[in-house]
Amino acid sequence: MSAETIPVEFAVYRFQPGKDTAPRFQTYKLDLTPHTPVLTGLLRIRDEVDPSLGLRYSCRSAICGSCAMRINEKSRLACETQVGAEVARHGRIVIEPMRNQAVIRDLVVDQTPFWREYHKIEPHLKLDPRRPMPEGKATPMTPAQVERFKETPRCIACAACYSACPAAEADPSFPGPMALAKLYRFAVDPRDTARTERLLKIQPGGLWLCMRCHLCTEACPKDVRPSERICDLKEMAIAVQGATEMGSRHAVGFKENLKDRGQLNEMKLVRATSGFAGMLGQLGQGIRIYRKKPEIMKKPRKIEGMDELEKIYAALDTPKKEGP
Amino acid sequence: MLRHEVVVVGAGLAGQRAALAAVEAGRNVAVVTKLHPLRSHSGAAQGGINAAIGVNDSVDAHTFDTVKGSDYLGDQDAIEYFCREAGPTVIEMEHFGTIFTRSEDGTLAQRPFGGAGFPRTVYAADRTGLALLQGLWERLGDEKFTLYEEWELARIVVREGRLQGIVALDRRSGEFQEVASKAVVIATGGAGRIYGRTTNAHSCTGDGMAVAYQAGAFLKDMEFVQFHPTALLEGGILVTEGARGEGGILKNAVGERFMSKYAPKVLELASRDVVARAIMTEILQGRGYSGPYGPSVHLELMHLGKEKIESRLQEICDLCRSFAGIDPVTQPIPIAPAQHYMMGGVGTNIPGETNIPGLYAAGEAACVSIHGANRLGGNSLMETLVFGKAAGAAAAAYAAKAPETTLTQGDLDPVVAKYRAWFARKDGEEPSVLRSEVQQTMDRYVNIFRTAADLEEGLKRVRAIKERFSRVRVTDQSKVFNLNLSDAIEVEHILDLAEVIIVGAIARTESRGAHFRTDFPKRDDPQWMKHTLARLTPSGPELSYSKVAFTRWEPKERVY
Repeated sequence: MSAETIPVEFAVYRFQPGKDTAPRFQTYKLDLTPHTPVLTGLLRIRDEVDPSLGLRYSCRSAICGSCAMRINEKSRLACETQVGAEVARHGRIVIEPMRNQAVIRDLVVDQTPFWREYHKIEPHLKLDPRRPMPEGKATPMTPAQVERFKETPRCIACAACYSACPAAEADPSFPGPMALAKLYRFAVDPRDTARTERLLKIQPGGLWLCMRCHLCTEACPKDVRPSERICDLKEMAIAVQGATEMGSRHAVGFKENLKDRGQLNEMKLVRATSGFAGMLGQLGQGIRIYRKKPEIMKKPRKIEGMDELEKIYAALDTPKKEGP
Repeated sequence: MLRHEVVVVGAGLAGQRAALAAVEAGRNVAVVTKLHPLRSHSGAAQGGINAAIGVNDSVDAHTFDTVKGSDYLGDQDAIEYFCREAGPTVIEMEHFGTIFTRSEDGTLAQRPFGGAGFPRTVYAADRTGLALLQGLWERLGDEKFTLYEEWELARIVVREGRLQGIVALDRRSGEFQEVASKAVVIATGGAGRIYGRTTNAHSCTGDGMAVAYQAGAFLKDMEFVQFHPTALLEGGILVTEGARGEGGILKNAVGERFMSKYAPKVLELASRDVVARAIMTEILQGRGYSGPYGPSVHLELMHLGKEKIESRLQEICDLCRSFAGIDPVTQPIPIAPAQHYMMGGVGTNIPGETNIPGLYAAGEAACVSIHGANRLGGNSLMETLVFGKAAGAAAAAYAAKAPETTLTQGDLDPVVAKYRAWFARKDGEEPSVLRSEVQQTMDRYVNIFRTAADLEEGLKRVRAIKERFSRVRVTDQSKVFNLNLSDAIEVEHILDLAEVIIVGAIARTESRGAHFRTDFPKRDDPQWMKHTLARLTPSGPELSYSKVAFTRWEPKERVY
């Protein structure tokens, strides 16, 4: 690895609400080796150029979750992002605060909504007094049971997922990827006795606002894969409660709908998702669609290769050995 | 004025455990922390937590290993208490919800660690600190207490011979706040940022140790600074001892597994001080690798196989790949020692009491002492919990009986006046400049191998920087999240602590554990089997000494 330096241009978001009239970008130029962490660059700016730059940081080794920010539009940890790759791809390094959290100063954001959602899922073991923990020894748990947590124990609560989440932006009542991944962690914990109660609460609690864009999984620096765990939660919620929300009814309706002919029957799907009354509400839109594309209202033909589709459904309906 | 019965400063494992104990005792508790609790540096601990719960292991064996590891400077009564409590403590953490790595039979898995006669280290892959921090925060978060998040400790107020409360800076508003409290538990962790090359987080600036020292508390055994043998060259990032526990080996530039020369019986799993000195000796004698980021030796994991490396040492894999551009599955990891842990700290007894009534300390900020001259890997996580709980309970019991505090607005004034002067100064020194100079001084003169000449030079330089600190200047004039002010507060702390470390190291003319004097290479029990105590006087630190507690283990020569 070379220790030769390259010129690096940082464009850093600066804003202090109540003091500055509007945010601005300030440019700093440093010579750094290509694998210098962005955080190191920012700290050199603080130490050598401008001590007023506001940011959070602590461990500098991707474990405390303090330094999440947007680096060339991606929410990630400044400590484990290297300047060389950013400069090679983007020419310079644009640094902005995380999204979905109000700016306190420069790159420091107010994480209250993020923590509020975390606390709402009741992130602690719930125990049944009739089933006490084994006295004086650890609860038995096999490696296979530990596997069921998947990567959720790696979460460092950096909020990069929350920043990247369009559902959290659109609807602040959405718990967000981190809180839901945490909920999954408790829902699969063999020590927790409130699994059903947790799942009953979460289905009307915003679970189906997740649109499976997987931006959280892309943003997560610890490979927690929140969107995949949210999919697992959706399955688990339907399993304990059936489809009670528009989102879950849509998902179940979609599956049943396709089973018949291998093509969607759009009319049936709308009814499955919204119910008959809901359909009436969408009458105006239905008429507009019918005018443009009348074939959509027809019952679709059966596709060729239905036998293949049946095999897929058979596989789907076989219970998994290790549930999610 | 804010008022509580018990205030815990620091929200890592020790602070949270202290807070939980005080809440359970029915006290009105507040936790003051400069980070969110889940961002505390406890979360960076990787390898594991020691408890003698294995079938063939015993509390006595753990006690002996810890006594020996301490180079006989640890207090044996405290170590016995610690090792007895370790088993129930790890089980309690499991019951709180911590997700540990398991053996096939469903029990807690344990891995070998340095200086231990048994595989005694319970772990959660290589993120044990994070697992414990999550488990404890989940448990504590369910209780009622007040959290003052992103508040920085500025002053401990002692009057009428007892504790009255604290003054802290609320970073978010920029206001200084008084918190009246009958009891305060210092749990602010270590002070690695006294050094430039350290495994510690940027936040580890010894705030609690320094502020307690300024308030009249004794700092104990501060000259004993642990250097972790294996840190990445890039930024001193920690590579867990678990890497060697899982079978990782060390090689020098001539391909020799050199630990056979220094610890023929246990090789890479000798005590940390022994391994760190061995690595430095290889480097100093010209058998290290050289490169743009400094000299190194190699830590090899390749022979362990991809599956084991990626499951048991998952975080290490990621750290090596993202920070050093190295894949430990196929390549050796260049490493060198880095400052890691302060064996010393605010002097306490087993329940965490200091010499100031109402002031308690626990965790790395405290010195009980169970680590003596050298801490064993896996003992610090356990220390935070065992002694955090003890200190929290003792502080709660004290607060239940203590008279009302007499904190007044006047206690805030000297603090505010001091910081106003920093803001008002038009010329003067930036705190970051002073910080980098003290760090360079400590790296160069107060490292693994020490001599009187180096230490004297280091002291001269640190005192010169302290003198310059009297003209420190905060240029950022904003109140909100003013890190320039935080820098200045922290630099004042590390300067005080650096001075105490060096003064203690100069006085101690022997080699014991992590304190190695090349001019006095032998342990000197008749003269130096004693704890160093440092107290602040107008002319600087004043040293005195106290006895080491012995119970059952006579000092012996320490061979691995």
